Amino acid sequence: MNVRASYAAFRQQMTHFLTDPQWIIPSLIAPFMFTMVVLMIYQDVDGPVVLQAVLGGGVLGMWGNTLYSSGWSISYDRYNGTLEPLMTSPTRLMDVVAGRSVWNTLIGLSNAVLVFVIAEIMFRTGVGLANPAEFFFILIMTLASLASIGLVFSAFFVLTRASSVLMSSLEFPIYVVSGAMFPITILPDWVIPVSYILAPSWGVDAMKIAALDGYEGIGLGIAGSLAVMLLLTAIYIIMARWLFKKIERNVRSYGTITRF
Amino acid sequence: MSPPEDAPPIVVERLTKVFPGKRKRPDKTAVDDISFNVEKGEIFGLLGPNGAGKTTTIRMLTTMLIPTSGVAWVLGKDVTKEEVAIRKRINLVSGGERGLYYRLTGRQNLRFFSELYGIDPKTRDRRIEELLQLVDLTESADQRVEDYSRGMKQRIHIARSLVNDPEVLFLDEPTLGLDPEIAREIRALIRRMAGMGTTILLTTHYMFEAEELCDRIGIISEGRLVALGNSLELKDSVNNATVIHVETREDPYEAIETLEGMDGVIHVNSDRVPGRFIVRIQVDHGSDLLTEVNEAMRGLRVLRIGYDEPTLEDTYISLVSGHER
Repeated sequence: MNVRASYAAFRQQMTHFLTDPQWIIPSLIAPFMFTMVVLMIYQDVDGPVVLQAVLGGGVLGMWGNTLYSSGWSISYDRYNGTLEPLMTSPTRLMDVVAGRSVWNTLIGLSNAVLVFVIAEIMFRTGVGLANPAEFFFILIMTLASLASIGLVFSAFFVLTRASSVLMSSLEFPIYVVSGAMFPITILPDWVIPVSYILAPSWGVDAMKIAALDGYEGIGLGIAGSLAVMLLLTAIYIIMARWLFKKIERNVRSYGTITRF
Repeated sequence: MSPPEDAPPIVVERLTKVFPGKRKRPDKTAVDDISFNVEKGEIFGLLGPNGAGKTTTIRMLTTMLIPTSGVAWVLGKDVTKEEVAIRKRINLVSGGERGLYYRLTGRQNLRFFSELYGIDPKTRDRRIEELLQLVDLTESADQRVEDYSRGMKQRIHIARSLVNDPEVLFLDEPTLGLDPEIAREIRALIRRMAGMGTTILLTTHYMFEAEELCDRIGIISEGRLVALGNSLELKDSVNNATVIHVETREDPYEAIETLEGMDGVIHVNSDRVPGRFIVRIQVDHGSDLLTEVNEAMRGLRVLRIGYDEPTLEDTYISLVSGHER
């Protein structure tokens, strides 16, 4: 991996974020809306349900941000005509996207924090965490796993601009199957395997164990869920590398790189 | 297979690119069996109409596209298999305003692209200052690119393409859409880069630009290289054509229609300039059509009529239209 190029891409993404007001939509407004809706639904309920709702709102915001920013990462270059100079540089496109994903991940973290702040200040939910340190560690790991899914999606955006269809169609199902809003265990049997191959499902499970006293979830405990999530994240990264290589070769053969 | 050690920086042998047809459309041959070399420090121009295959050729040579058949070596490396080694030592400028991060400043753009080439920080910072000076953008370096004029954007494009001190530079219509003064500045910049030893392959639609800048020119039509040489050699290559030059006060559109259908006429080209119309009629060398041309112009105020030497543009039109027939 070209760390310097990834860091340059991180800085470039950060500068774009700070100078382009449109990023406020996925990064601040969307999680704010999620949280508002969820907390309004649960405003007369106390205890763990509220915490689960707040957690769900946070994860939804993070997921929406990952999906939007990973897709836009390549689409912006395609639209802007910068994909050509990126492709003709010696840096692998995945290294550039990885740097941008790290920035998006940090913004995802700010989403999560924002959700908790909104819950506390506006709704006075009195949310308490059973194991705050563990919880935040798992939160950061979950964000990293989301970023790795973002990398896989970005590869498809190199292939075709039509990948936005994939992005849009994945947004809402993941809210359900990742267990962000509802425990996975209450989902129909046929959906559960889909949840299990999504790394964030395991991260959400571990976060809930850390946050809620007596929550058992899938049953592997914090360490087990975390291990599965990290394993799946590693698989996503390997998959992303393979996809980038294949797709770059494909676009070099068919000449689709500059269509926008 | 690899080229000899002392091979020129660009070696193209029987290069072909076929794009597969989609939805039952036939395959499209964008580049068809072309061969040429570009020597070190040379400015080589590829001329051709839209869709002739110029950009596809550049994309293959800059490793953005994989050839369907044939081979090309840039700096001794195969464009299909050794793309990373080539990318370190070349760069590309495309015409038009796209290709920069508009929300970043000129300096931030240069810095970002420098990092992609792994240039060490000390060299990077020194080179960025030198490049800003070269393209005369030192004072506006910290302005966002979105606030740049079109000419400034094109100059920062060129600066971006030099961050890695490329040995070979590809310029795809570098003066496209620029006003004459800025286009002249860009041409001066291109000459300066060639003077510094950079090998340059450029595509352009502008004949005078090709004639002014290029040591050698390849004319490409429908994917095939139809002529190759310096501008004098190219003009000589169509010396079987003669040009009749006519200047009229009124619009000679009816006369042009008549001339286009006449035996012995290869091509008719007309231009409107302040106060008059200029018509250039390319005719087969053996055809003495002056009387017929005079007849076709009857009723118009003819300011000048006579034979002329073919220009590069006449040559180009003759070659391209001859090939398209």
